[in-house]
Amino acid sequence: MLKTTVVVIGGGATGVGILRDLSMRGIKAILVERDDLGYWTSSRFHGLLHSGGRYAVKDKEAAKECIQENTILRRIGHHCVEATESIFVRTPEDSEEFEQEWVKSCKECGISAIPLPMDKAFELEPNLSHKILSAYRCPGAAIDGFRLLWQTVASADKYGGKTMTYTEVTGIETVNGTVSGVKIRDKWTGREDKIACDFVISAAGSFAGQVAHMAGLTVNVKPSKGTLIAFNHRICNRVIHRLHKSSDADIFVPHGSITILGTSSIDSAPDDTSTETAEVTAMMEIGKLTFEHIYDYRILRVFAGTRPLYSADPNAKGRSASRGFVALDHAHDGIKHFMSVCGGKFTTYRLMAEKVCDMVCEQLGVNEKCHTADENLVEDPSPELMGRAKAVFPSYGAELAASRLGNRKLEHVIERIESKPEMRELVCECENVTLAEIEEIAAEPTSHTVSDLRRRTRLGMGTCQGTFCAYRSVGAVDKEEMPWAKDTVYLFKEFLETRWKGIRPVLWGNMLRDIELTRAIYDAALNLSGVEEIK
Amino acid sequence: MKKSDVLIIGNGISGLFAACIAADRGKKVQILSYGAGTLTIGGGIIDVLGYTDEGRPVTDPVQAMGQVNPTHPYAKVGSDTAKKALNTFLKITNEEGFPYIGSPNKNKWIPTAIGNFKPSCLVPRTMDSDVVFKTSNILVIGFDTMKDFYANMVTKNLKKRLDSDKSIKEFTVTLNFEYGKDLRDISAMDVARWLETEQGHVSFVEQVKPHIKKDTVIILPPVLGLDPNYKVLDSLEKDLSCSLVEVSSLPPAVTGTRLTKMLNSYAKKRGVQVIEKAHVVGAKVVNGKCKSVITEGFDRQREFYADQFILATGGIYGGGIIAKIGALTEPIFNIAIDVPKVQTEWSHKQLFADKKQIFAQYGVSVDENLIPLTAEGKQVASNVKVVGRSLAGYDFCYEKSGNGVALITAYKAAAAFCGEA
Repeated sequence: MLKTTVVVIGGGATGVGILRDLSMRGIKAILVERDDLGYWTSSRFHGLLHSGGRYAVKDKEAAKECIQENTILRRIGHHCVEATESIFVRTPEDSEEFEQEWVKSCKECGISAIPLPMDKAFELEPNLSHKILSAYRCPGAAIDGFRLLWQTVASADKYGGKTMTYTEVTGIETVNGTVSGVKIRDKWTGREDKIACDFVISAAGSFAGQVAHMAGLTVNVKPSKGTLIAFNHRICNRVIHRLHKSSDADIFVPHGSITILGTSSIDSAPDDTSTETAEVTAMMEIGKLTFEHIYDYRILRVFAGTRPLYSADPNAKGRSASRGFVALDHAHDGIKHFMSVCGGKFTTYRLMAEKVCDMVCEQLGVNEKCHTADENLVEDPSPELMGRAKAVFPSYGAELAASRLGNRKLEHVIERIESKPEMRELVCECENVTLAEIEEIAAEPTSHTVSDLRRRTRLGMGTCQGTFCAYRSVGAVDKEEMPWAKDTVYLFKEFLETRWKGIRPVLWGNMLRDIELTRAIYDAALNLSGVEEIK
Repeated sequence: MKKSDVLIIGNGISGLFAACIAADRGKKVQILSYGAGTLTIGGGIIDVLGYTDEGRPVTDPVQAMGQVNPTHPYAKVGSDTAKKALNTFLKITNEEGFPYIGSPNKNKWIPTAIGNFKPSCLVPRTMDSDVVFKTSNILVIGFDTMKDFYANMVTKNLKKRLDSDKSIKEFTVTLNFEYGKDLRDISAMDVARWLETEQGHVSFVEQVKPHIKKDTVIILPPVLGLDPNYKVLDSLEKDLSCSLVEVSSLPPAVTGTRLTKMLNSYAKKRGVQVIEKAHVVGAKVVNGKCKSVITEGFDRQREFYADQFILATGGIYGGGIIAKIGALTEPIFNIAIDVPKVQTEWSHKQLFADKKQIFAQYGVSVDENLIPLTAEGKQVASNVKVVGRSLAGYDFCYEKSGNGVALITAYKAAAAFCGEA
């Protein structure tokens, strides 16, 4: 049996933020996540670091929080943030009155919104529709969800915070109406265990209702599904928003070499990550007003996630529910030292954690203040380490590897290549991932599938969507000493089928051509499906 | 512009083979080629029919053709013609000094680059895999800096699939390529080029020989020479006193390149003219007959006339069929293919399902004579025949029938234009 002070349930942004905050205040904590870190909502989004502009008119409180946290994350999480800016544009469909109200609101919230003459806007963003009437620059940015989560966990780890992935909570135990521990099960081995603790915080997002239910409580979370389209181009260099009341498919976010358009809003089940062609075509029609040549851009894939919108009113739906977050102290429902944190936004994950931890500390009698805004998530690599990285990585790969690995693992990867130069071979050419990096992450105890490697390295997230790197990554891990890589066919199918899920609803143009190639390789040439039969 | 007897659009395996057949019968043949074609990235082996619709392995492909459903290209060709086509292919390989082995009536099991086996029918001698099942020692050979072949994965999976009394070991040959460590990735093409040199041959033999026991077969990536001959295979087998077997592998495919070179060589000897960089954008059809096709380059359009036309432009991957939102079209004759309006209905939820993939079976519908039909079932043009991957009604990945359909339909189309079958 394990022992700690606080168990945090859920490895999304909220959970990891709480783990780091508690750990930095010197409170022992263990985070348990049923799947991989960032498997659910915290990766299934635009990757937008809000400036607050989007909320300025409707929710000034949220807008102010966004700009405050945006400023902090650009500093402490600068390895995860692509500090572009955002441009809000008004199309002929959008109202002029809203524009005026928006300008006023941004000012009130302290969000810089600088008018941009249209000729300058078209110079900065040549693909914008020339029907656009006005534009403003705001401090929005792009943020990498997976990276932020792993770096937050790495930061917590330095202060003793423990993280257990693929660990499912199967029960919440109480003694005399106070939490005493949680029952857990390892998803891969099936092994059951217990963590004794003084406090449980559920940060299970869309699954918060299910977690509360284990303690016999009701939490009204309204999952609302959002679909996103990843284009295989950098359509814009800055985040582009429509200047109107928040609505579907009105935000484009550039990430590295791709652009993400989102999103829709459909009431759904917590684990609904499916996408229908109709959702995509509806979003394309709206997106066309911002980028008129949108149909000429190649789609890479589509994906979906659910927003865990909280509502005290069980009948509230979709966008009418609050985007703010709530921390429910279940002492009011009869169980002490059990809290559910619901709702919220990725951009304000640190602030939410701070507020929750203040409440928890008060109950635990801890006086330590929050330090999470004072320290960077990961330290910058030293010039010496970067010098060694540049000597071993192919072209621009050094910076990419440094920001996704963090110092300790970066050094390990460099050592691998220094001792065996052929380890620099690129397993994934689209995202510049070396064999050394794959071997390093594959050996981590948190890795169980090639998809786990993907979330850590971006392997398979580029143009070919796994067609070539599937063979190489499986070949690299399919070794006797890698305990999780016993079944080659399973490894291939797990990876390629999850890539397929995002391609299937958009099976036209080059997406269909590429899938024909994938099948020609894995089915026709390698006979992946017929593997069990000989003669 | 001079008029040809038979004009072939596309220089993949079906286009080239149709050209060889028609030229053999004295026809004046032109091929319009646009790009390298997908043949060069394919495996260079002739899969005819590996599995039934229910997923059962096929022993005799020509016999099993009798059971395919009526929309399948094989149902339109018939097994007698299929057999003639495959035997003609064998004859051509023989004449070109690169004889393929196998029989249209028997499938072989070929090792793959993941260490399992796939059924195929006619293969080059470098893939004569029967010996793998008979020999007691298997040595899997990889190359230290070569990309896209993992000897460890092949070895591990061969152990799972073959009799446990076999000894299966791996060995990595050191390449020591000067440019290997810094400049670029080493592909199977580079290793093949190396093995063609005296120095490469000697180095390979020196490194491998100590690991050869009596009764050994070597399994290795497709690296036994770039050209359609068996010089590298024969000399290595002689110097090592054992058999070598290449696996079915990923692109870039040395084996596909050899097949491409061989067919081109045969076609050119028979006067087939290949016009390169000819992107065909449309056709002129008058009174139910195709008069000409139109190509478009940077500066101008050109018109090519012929009595007969063979459409061998490939499927979705090759660019012979274009997919849009809710629509699929053959772009040269502008044939709309009947598909569901919603893309999610084009496929199964699983990519590797235990049945044929839906979109894979989309293609141009043809009548018994391979003449293309409109969605309403009318002939598009009576002097046009469609061959190969653009045909509807089969899933080459699931069935393992890709090059087989290409050869057999190409033979039928070309022979019919020459007054046969």
